[in-house]
Amino acid sequence: MTPPLRLAPALVATALVLTACSGSSGTSSKTASTSAASTGASAPAGKTTLVVGLSGDIGQPPDPDVYYANNGLAIVLNAYEGLVQYKNDADTVQIAPRLATSWTVDKTHTVYTFTLRPGVTFHDGTPFTSAAVKASFDRRNAVKGGAAYMTAGVKSVDTSDPMKAVVTLDAPNSAFLDYLASPFGPKMQSPAGIAKYAGKDHDQTYLQTHDIGSGPYTLTSVQPGTEYDLTQYPGYWGKKSPFTKVRLPIFSDPSALQLALDKGQVDTVVAALPSSALKKYKDKKGISNYFLPTLQSALVTVNPTRSFFATVPARMAFLKTINQQQLVSQVLGERSEPATTLYAKGMIPGGADKQTITYDPSAMKAYAKTLPSGTSMSIGYASDNVNAQQMANIVAAQLQADGIKATAKGFPTSQVFGWVQDPPKGPDAFIDGNNGPDGGSPYMWGHVFWDKTGGIDYFGCDDPQTDSELNTAVKTGDTALYVSAAQKYAATGCYLNLSYNKDWVVAQSWLTGVAAAHNIGANELDFSLLGVG
Amino acid sequence: MSRFVAVRTASAAGLLLVLSFIIFCLQAVSPGDPVRASLGANSSPAAVAEARRRLGLDDPFFARYWHFLRDLLHGDLGQSLRTHRPVTTDLGDFLPATTELVLVAFLLALLLGALFAVSASLRWPGGTAFRAVLLVGAAAPPFLLALGAILLFYAHLGWLPASGRGGDEGAGGWVLLGSLLTLHLGTAASALQHVLLPALVLSIAPAISIGRILRASLDGTLAADHVRTARAKGLPEPGVLARHVVRNSLGPAVSMAGLQLGFMFAGVVVVEQVFSWPGIGTYLSSSIPVSDFPAIAGVTLVLGAVYIVLNAVVDVLQALADPRTTA
Repeated sequence: MTPPLRLAPALVATALVLTACSGSSGTSSKTASTSAASTGASAPAGKTTLVVGLSGDIGQPPDPDVYYANNGLAIVLNAYEGLVQYKNDADTVQIAPRLATSWTVDKTHTVYTFTLRPGVTFHDGTPFTSAAVKASFDRRNAVKGGAAYMTAGVKSVDTSDPMKAVVTLDAPNSAFLDYLASPFGPKMQSPAGIAKYAGKDHDQTYLQTHDIGSGPYTLTSVQPGTEYDLTQYPGYWGKKSPFTKVRLPIFSDPSALQLALDKGQVDTVVAALPSSALKKYKDKKGISNYFLPTLQSALVTVNPTRSFFATVPARMAFLKTINQQQLVSQVLGERSEPATTLYAKGMIPGGADKQTITYDPSAMKAYAKTLPSGTSMSIGYASDNVNAQQMANIVAAQLQADGIKATAKGFPTSQVFGWVQDPPKGPDAFIDGNNGPDGGSPYMWGHVFWDKTGGIDYFGCDDPQTDSELNTAVKTGDTALYVSAAQKYAATGCYLNLSYNKDWVVAQSWLTGVAAAHNIGANELDFSLLGVG
Repeated sequence: MSRFVAVRTASAAGLLLVLSFIIFCLQAVSPGDPVRASLGANSSPAAVAEARRRLGLDDPFFARYWHFLRDLLHGDLGQSLRTHRPVTTDLGDFLPATTELVLVAFLLALLLGALFAVSASLRWPGGTAFRAVLLVGAAAPPFLLALGAILLFYAHLGWLPASGRGGDEGAGGWVLLGSLLTLHLGTAASALQHVLLPALVLSIAPAISIGRILRASLDGTLAADHVRTARAKGLPEPGVLARHVVRNSLGPAVSMAGLQLGFMFAGVVVVEQVFSWPGIGTYLSSSIPVSDFPAIAGVTLVLGAVYIVLNAVVDVLQALADPRTTA
């Protein structure tokens, strides 16, 4: 036996002993601090590549008419632009210009006229004109993706003036501007590109690996499950950042993502780290934390089809037993604040949609006494949401103290969406750690959460008057009617707006412009507005 | 022998058919709405209904299974509800990463297993500590071992990367093998660095199984008459080991190694998840929460096929080595 071979077992043994010894520690702050200290926080000289860590693959192709999830918006919103967007760095919903510089809406909310920004070109060199508006709307309708409803009501687009698009709707819709400002809203695509790469699937194959947008960056590399790369578009009409390339590597494990951030191999993480990491990064040298406003909330939904919650008083008693202030602060910490309104924060001017449920555990104790001994109930949460799991466990423990056999149970996403077809098969209640509407119109909130056809009314708890008032209000934008609809739905006891959630952005301290690159509608940053400082 | 091979092949095909039916039944009875999960929470009822119609989800069970089987026989695993791409395309992207990881892990398992066995049989100094560490590693849950390895080799020592593959996808996703074949040594070195840590974690449990079998076999052979005779004739020890001991001890270990290779393909999910390794394990774990049946079925069938084929190959190799096993 040669000497190196003789040493091999001992070397491997030593390495494995050290591995085993460190294996139980998890990602301690001490470890992170040590590794971060070696990287420092000074602005890297001549840094032209931004690395944005993604937690998990983007899931769907980054096609603006298909993509309807979360972290892939980082690609969609930097490669494509809409006619309008929500105003950056603002904590209320305000429509701001993007590819349209101005717009008018007729009194009936049926005709929207957009003046288009001159000098804009798509990544294939095609100039941006009103023809692109029509082609982009048509493509969205043809693809029939999840957000196709946003253009389904478009009756016509007048393109007679290349720099003016006159959009006429089938029916009045005061939420249409919000559809266009939504991160999932219709994005402008090159009409030449749409025609050239149509194939048999309306460009869907081509747009899995390319883009035909006008945004500050163009998609240059797609490695599903590994990394997506963007390259700065030299012909972009707007501000350009020093980052000529943006890399978006994928981390399937949050610990690995945190370690990469600690070692300076990732520059920023947007709304992807668990709340359990808040403490670790709070005072970390070389790291900046941003808590930026969103339209997202944590929500409690109650299942009226289950015998436990068959009556309104029972449902109300349950909602009252939730100590909103304590639960939000304990689990969500700085990234959230207790919700005081029925819609998203600031959606209704002046907070007229006040949520009136107050903490009163005596109501549930009284209800528990009326139940047979050992009555059980379950509180569901999405199995991939650690915050919701923690909240469900805390609420279940409170109910157990009242003598109820309460359990918290995780469910995969697809099962959660299946309950509405057969609500009694769902749990008695569900805690949603983070959810929100597509846009800032109160209709977009009320419709998805309170109308059983909306998509996120998990247990089909429906109040026909609420639906009717929402459907009337969307035609006129009548705020009072929106408030009335919300109050009627709140009276069902099926719903509690638990918290206003923020996007927690963690970034190396040298990265500037983070807040200015973020808006309330998107969980992502506009990379063209970031800088090095 | 040819009849034995034919029978083994036919039974493997039959097993795959049964596997496909079981997967399909599980999908049919599992609760959930994959269409809503695929289209997005806020998608309209019209869009959901259209997608259900397009995917044939409203068809009767046996009609759907027949379509699934018919497409399968044509090599079509359907379209992923999540990625909106053909599952075969997805597998083409993700399978090379898994294959490279498992192959490197397999080589490590053979090396560690051999060291485990030889150090025990020949009572090498330090061998006991080495074996103890391997046993502790094998007893630890894979995710804990993986996290520990990341903390030590990436966070503390900075020797090895903890995620990714270390090179651009090239040559059909074969980053390591492709760069080695094309002599891009820089990429190959980076790819090897990236694969080493997940492969080490994946290799420890199989190394123990291979090592134990090999050790038992070595002990038996070392005590055999022909080895004693060879030593008595004055043959040098390395020659005795190489010519008379190792060769005669390899049979059972080779069988075990074949089985372990199959297990490694099936057990790769956790390791890929922790190391952000873009293989079929990661693909599968992303597909399960949204009930992406075509993707789940595709991965399961591939893993099942690999396991069944490896079993069949081991059986055939054993039959070739010892024809009495076919009787």
